[in-house]
Amino acid sequence: MRLVKEPGSARSGFKDWYLQRLSAVVLAVLLPMPFVVLILVYAGVVDQFGLLDIVDNFVSRLLHTILITALIIHAYMGLKVMIEDYVAAIGWRVTLIGSMLVVMSGFGIWWMAIIWAWGG
Amino acid sequence: MIASLAHRASGVVLVLFVPLYLWLLHGMTGSPDNFIQVQAWLHSGLGKLLLWLAGVALFFHFCNGLRFLSIDAGWFESRQLMRLSARIILAMTLLAALLLGLLL
Repeated sequence: MRLVKEPGSARSGFKDWYLQRLSAVVLAVLLPMPFVVLILVYAGVVDQFGLLDIVDNFVSRLLHTILITALIIHAYMGLKVMIEDYVAAIGWRVTLIGSMLVVMSGFGIWWMAIIWAWGG
Repeated sequence: MIASLAHRASGVVLVLFVPLYLWLLHGMTGSPDNFIQVQAWLHSGLGKLLLWLAGVALFFHFCNGLRFLSIDAGWFESRQLMRLSARIILAMTLLAALLLGLLL
């Protein structure tokens, strides 16, 4: 019997590749927006009421939720590839990828809770 | 090669900026006092530096990401064009870093 060097099936590779590109397209459309808003607030062009007008409505919350989802998928896939490339020990790899998934999901839930709680 | 490594490095920077962004967003949409505190922090040396770093990383990751997507789609696939586009994006990033540094 041949020695199995890598865990996981060969089938999952395409799904990862595809999800990474799909989330990239979503991020390319959505991610510049919060950065521009951040710069506008920094520059004093938008004050706190202006900022709340921008973020505190249904469309912004929905877009923010889509952004968070795509961001977490993209970041998870990206860091997973890096861990797989640079961490050789299988035990460490599984531990790191697993804890990353838990931390990122927790983060995403917290973030969404903040967004959907605005305005009471 | 350099573009791929820089894509990873800028990606890690952007991931690390996410908790900071959440903190900024949370503070700026909180009480007026929170807003003033966050504004003051953003205008401090560290705030400016991190904002600049995130901006440059985002700019590079965005442009180079579009480049990767085009290559996957079969455009600019030749060796020379891949090299040329990588150089153009690096030059654009340097320019953007300079501009953002002057503006902030």
